[in-house]
Formats: sequence, C-alpha cells, structure tokens
Amino acid sequence: MHSVPTMIENGWELLSDFSVPSEQGNERLAMRQVTEVVQPLGLPPRSLDQLKTAVAEATMNAMEHGNKYQAEVPVLLQVLRSDTSVLVRISDQGDPAPADALEAPNLEAKLENRQTPRGWGLFLIHNMVDEMKVTNDASGHTIELVMHLKGDGHAGQTV
Amino acid sequence: MQARPFSMQVRHEDDVAIIDLHGEINAFAEAALNSGYAEADSTQPDVILLNFGDVSYINSTGIALIVSLLARARASKRRLLACGLSAHYVEIFTITRLADFMTVFPDESSALQTTAVTDSTA
Repeated sequence: MHSVPTMIENGWELLSDFSVPSEQGNERLAMRQVTEVVQPLGLPPRSLDQLKTAVAEATMNAMEHGNKYQAEVPVLLQVLRSDTSVLVRISDQGDPAPADALEAPNLEAKLENRQTPRGWGLFLIHNMVDEMKVTNDASGHTIELVMHLKGDGHAGQTV
Repeated sequence: MQARPFSMQVRHEDDVAIIDLHGEINAFAEAALNSGYAEADSTQPDVILLNFGDVSYINSTGIALIVSLLARARASKRRLLACGLSAHYVEIFTITRLADFMTVFPDESSALQTTAVTDSTA
C-alpha cells in the first residue's frame, strides 16, 4: 500500500495498516482505530487524548484538502511503534504539489474578521504531538505524527 | 466511541442564558449551534454561558464555530463564558487562546456564582 518507510528500517514495527473513505466525519473512524491499536502501549491519558486529536485533524485534512472528499479515494493510515515512540502515518492521494504555506491562526485577527474563523487543523496537530513531518511525493501528501511513550504529553504553545 | 449527533437546549438563570451542548461539535453542528446562540441572544442577556459538560468531541471546525460565536458576542457586547470542558479541551482552549477571551469555569455553578458576584459589584 505505501512504500516502506525508512523509519521501519530504523527500528519501527508496523502495528496496523488500514484506510478510511474520504467522507465527512470519518476522522472519527480513524481516531477510533488508532486508539484501539495503541491502547496496549499504555500511553498516558493526556498523550492519548493529544494523539487522538492529531490523528483526527490530520485525517480531516487528508480527506478534505488532499482527496477533496471523494469517498472512493481513501485516506491511508499506518501505525508503527519503536521502543520509545508511536508513529502514525496518514497519506492522501492529492495533488503532489506542496500545499500553499498556511497563515498561522491568530485569534484576534479571526475575531476582527481579518482571518477566516477556520484554519486551526495544522496548528492543533503541531501542538498535540512530540514530532510532526509532512512529505509530498508523486502519490500525494503524507503526515507523520510521533508521540513518545513516556512523559505526560506534548506541551503545546499558544498562538 | 459512538458518534453522537449534536443537539442543544437554551435555558435562563437570571441574566444568564445557558446553552447546554450535547454530542459532537463539528461541521454537522453548525446550523443547530447558530440557532441556539440566536435563541439565547434574543432575550438580550448580559452573559451567555456555553455548557460543554455533555460534549464528547470538538474538532477544528467546531473550534471555528465557537470562534464565530465569540465574535458575535463581542459585537453585541455580551460576555461569553464556557464551563464543563474536559481537561483535554481546556488545553485546546488555552493553546488556541479562546480561554483568553472567554473565561472557562469547571462547572455551571462556579460560572453562575462568578457572574452573580460580578453583577453585584458592577
């Protein structure tokens, strides 16, 4: 389904590989399946909540911006683990061109109608996980979310 | 983790309109949330309290809807407050800075107590 990620060669074990149709609301399916897979790893509750939100938001982005909500074009998910971390890879099949740089969300600007109220997804993802990496290739976009197994979650930054 | 469609009810305690939110706040909640806010706003309360105690999920679209309600409240010079958020969503309200613009209370009684004190000292 995916090309084998380099990280597998570097000690990552594949725990699950699945897909969800690109239909509004299906980020909940992705979140539920990832939760079931990582449950035995014993992530602290705060980290688990953060990972769930990051997975949901990344899946929403993939369904909306990558696959344009075409139900027949699935979002692909892989869950991997190493000795210290869990990694979730979420791939769409969108235009391989890199997405335009997004304006950082600014709440004052949104309240004064200088920014759309939307645009929180990537910001939330970035603030929920310990590491995040976005790659683009001929088959689409992939986001990798890494959460460390120990520690009490990622300390987010305010805007 | 069963999906729970959004629903809401509006009730009043003195000069506070309370919107009880239930289920999931996402794109599907937009029409009902906006209509609930309009109903609460129609009585011209000093304060509108969003009670998140029975909300199981808020995504980024839901955050955007709450930002829109906050903009409406500020435009009509009403105070918008929040209560009943889980620790995870308190964290999200903090990092998005929503908590800087709408005070977040642990529960409804502490929110109402504070608004009563504020009113009596105004």
